[in-house]
Amino acid sequence: MAQTVDITPTTRHEGHAKLILEVDGEGIVSKAYYINTTPIRGFERMVVGRPAEFVPFAVMRICGICQTTHGIASCSAIEDAIGCEIPEDGRLLRELTGLGSRMHSHPIHHLLTLEDFVKPEEGDLKIEIIKLIQSMRKVGQLIVDTVGGEGIHPPNIVIGGMRTNISERAKAKLYYALRQFEKDAYRMYEIYQELIERFLEEVGIPDLGSHDYPYIASHTTYGDREAINWDGIVEIPPHRYYKDMKIAESTSLMIPLYEGVPAEGGPRARLVKFGNFRSGGGAMDINIARAKENLGAVYRALEILDELNINGKTRVTPEYRDGSGIGVHEAPRGMNTHFAEVGREGRIKSYRIIAASNWNFPVVEKAIEGYPHQYAEVIMRAFDM
Amino acid sequence: MDPLGSYKSIISARATDKRILKRCQDGGIVSAVFIYGLENNILDGVIVADKEEGFRPVPKVATTPEEVLEAAGTKYTVSPNLSVLKSAIREYACEKVGVVGTPCQILSLRKALKYPVGFRHMVDKVKLLVGIFCMENFPYMGMRIIVEELCGVRIEDVVKMDIGKGKFWVYTRWGEVKSVKLKKTHPYEQSSCHVCTDYTAELADISTGSVGSPDGWSTVIIRNERGEEIINKMIEEGYLERRPIDEGKFGLGLLKKLALVKKEKNMKEIEHRKELGLPVPPDVCH
Amino acid sequence: MEDKITVAHVQLSSCCGCLISLVDTYEKFLDVLNSIDLVYCQTLMDAREIPEADVILVEGAVCLEDHHALEVAREVRKKGKTVVALGACAALGCITRFAKGGQMPKPVQGSFSSLTEIIRCDMAIPGCPPSPELILGVITALIKGDEEYLKPFRRYAVCKCESCGCDLIINVVNKSLCMGCGICSASCPTRAIEMVDGRPVVSPQLCVKCGVCSFQCPRIEI
Ligand SMILES: Cc1cc2nc3c(=O)[nH]c(=O)nc-3n(C[C@H](O)[C@H](O)[C@H](O)COP(=O)(O)OP(=O)(O)OC[C@H]3O[C@@H](n4cnc5c(N)ncnc54)[C@H](O)[C@@H]3O)c2cc1C
Ligand code: SF4
Ligand code: SF4
Repeated sequence: MAQTVDITPTTRHEGHAKLILEVDGEGIVSKAYYINTTPIRGFERMVVGRPAEFVPFAVMRICGICQTTHGIASCSAIEDAIGCEIPEDGRLLRELTGLGSRMHSHPIHHLLTLEDFVKPEEGDLKIEIIKLIQSMRKVGQLIVDTVGGEGIHPPNIVIGGMRTNISERAKAKLYYALRQFEKDAYRMYEIYQELIERFLEEVGIPDLGSHDYPYIASHTTYGDREAINWDGIVEIPPHRYYKDMKIAESTSLMIPLYEGVPAEGGPRARLVKFGNFRSGGGAMDINIARAKENLGAVYRALEILDELNINGKTRVTPEYRDGSGIGVHEAPRGMNTHFAEVGREGRIKSYRIIAASNWNFPVVEKAIEGYPHQYAEVIMRAFDM
Repeated sequence: MDPLGSYKSIISARATDKRILKRCQDGGIVSAVFIYGLENNILDGVIVADKEEGFRPVPKVATTPEEVLEAAGTKYTVSPNLSVLKSAIREYACEKVGVVGTPCQILSLRKALKYPVGFRHMVDKVKLLVGIFCMENFPYMGMRIIVEELCGVRIEDVVKMDIGKGKFWVYTRWGEVKSVKLKKTHPYEQSSCHVCTDYTAELADISTGSVGSPDGWSTVIIRNERGEEIINKMIEEGYLERRPIDEGKFGLGLLKKLALVKKEKNMKEIEHRKELGLPVPPDVCH
Repeated sequence: MEDKITVAHVQLSSCCGCLISLVDTYEKFLDVLNSIDLVYCQTLMDAREIPEADVILVEGAVCLEDHHALEVAREVRKKGKTVVALGACAALGCITRFAKGGQMPKPVQGSFSSLTEIIRCDMAIPGCPPSPELILGVITALIKGDEEYLKPFRRYAVCKCESCGCDLIINVVNKSLCMGCGICSASCPTRAIEMVDGRPVVSPQLCVKCGVCSFQCPRIEI
């Protein structure tokens, strides 16, 4: 007998959401709705009419886990709009801050999914993993603290570059912290892979949560606006995307489409587009890709420390003029894009954000469909919402 | 009223390093402690008041003995030292920070250590609070009026300023010394100092000033174990020479007297402001 | 041994940064979890209904156009013996003070109030976010019943504090109280305060109204 399963609220992720599942007689989901019920604070409208400098600080506060990506995307959108080139060392420090954020966000996601894969009787393993996670997060946040100025909402990311360079001492400290992270990340990758393999074996559905939407990604560690065909991206209101008006009216999200369909962003998308990661697999692949990205992040971070000139200039004074621009940054969760239109006096004329999670909401729905309903949340969490 | 706050011991002391003595204000205690700390891995960054053109104070994170020396000497105007506290623990990545400050600055830092609302990961990184005695401070232009108008000295020519024996002294690079009675400098004092009742930085680990010791020496109030440990080591290792504090009228007696004068005078001002319906600092400052 | 106090964490309209700040106690986080009985935290665990608890930490502002949020606010008051407005959004509004609606697909949602304006809170903590050490300090004080430590936060919940950098000017500089220590400047999470001539100069275009600078100033009675 067909029935509706309502999971309200979904747990172990940021924000507020619920799952409404239409389930057939065999318990398989035939239609899934993943509804974001978080009230809209309206950052896009909040910044209009305000001076550009305010924007990065405001939009960082969209998310307390991945604030850095919003700071970076907003600055680069505004810089693109006014034709401002930031100094090379500023760019490196920005990328480093973004990587630090990824190196704390990915592990926190491992923390949120832990209960899905570790069994209640494996208390010691759980504690070992939590300790590992906290040790990794500590390094990630140390980078954001040191380079970004604050681990949560880093104020050094400013229009024109970075507010300040770092000291020799700071650079050395980051180097040793990264070497520790490198070790931890390998251990984490091993643990995670084993846990997921075991989970899938027990579930008996190797491709759990697969979908056939394309992937979207602009870069592996930073963000590249040249890599995306922006004409191919539209954002439509849920009223147009969902047939069910009640569903459409309850969600807080606009639906982004790439070449007319939703697209998956995030660790797997990046590793498929720019590496040789398996495409088309189940959603658990994303968990593995995420653990793998920790390694890419630490190696790129070490490389940046090498390239960085600590006496180099990190910031230019922006000169405001009319223009519009795009800023794209690869957030832990996927491609994050800000579009800014700036007026001559440096005020924001219009502003739009396609956050990473926006991309994945419709993809999550598709990934849940066709699988037993009890795995809906596990699949959803793989996308790191 | 307890004039000096709580402490373990009080001594007179002076740095032994000639480089310090050449640049410091009194006995060079602050600079000597900081340099010792930096050289012996007790501290890895210290917050001091450097100066730029026109004797304008600039708070600074110093990580080398040279930088500490450069910033030695008293600036008789507000130097918001705590404004660089974040920098020290962020882009400088210091983990063992020493801070020098006037009594109000030390109190402000103690409050931040107790309630570090806006200071992520700071508490365990602040290792030493060195307080300097202070009767009052001057706004920057107030100091300029004293130097340029009352003493008639071009600010560019000033190498040192000092307060002592009831006078404000100005030393020039041409070897001249000018002075003016403190009575005449009162109108140029910072008015917010008049609601402060702490003369000896009662919440510091170590407090120091000139009052109570002979010229060229400093009075050092050792307030807790943290302060005691470093001062003892410095004496043992010959970085500081010490002599017993003069317990008499011109030593400890004078220090206590001045501390009480400040308390009484400023309590009166606090009462006065209350009568006028004006806000006063919270209890924690009294 | 005494029973552990039960603690719930509830998120309203916020970025979750206050919770992350607590998690940023790193190795101490496990100790925190061991010293309390965490009964609800939607971000970290599966409990789906807010239970009764000794302490409910609430982060986030309340969206008046979201029926559910208003209900949660009332529920929190009913179920929590001590309700703590954790962080500037709950305590003071913070960034949500700038919200005014108009954004797709829910253009109507645009009125956000701090939790302290909607329900009676027993304590309020400013900061965007409050530091890990501070949150830890408050939780420890709650466990120990250290009222002396908690006093400023109790007062803060009822003081109807404004929360802008301009408060410093009005309450300290204009009142002949600022002595130029600079702690306000260092504390500001957006670096909106520059010290000029020994006084704070606040750039209003950078201030997110988190209340930290005023809380940190030693010359304001909270
Ligand atoms: C405004 C003011 C008023 C004072 N009033 C008295 C007094 O009434 N009686 C008394 O005995 N002593 C007073 N002092 C202290 C005295 O002038 C010396 O600073 C103190 O004895 C330390 O000398 P030293 O040789 O040990 O330090 P040094 O080795 O010379 O080092 C002094 C340190 O203090 C820092 N500093 C200098 N100016 C300031 C400032 N404005 N704010 C914060 N830090 C600063 C310097 O950067 C340096 O690190 C006052 C100091 C100030 C700043
Ligand atoms: S000036 Fe800074 S610290 Fe003060 S309320 Fe504004 S953002 Fe917060
Ligand atoms: S914190 Fe210090 S500098 Fe800032 S307003 Fe208060 S007294 Fe003045």
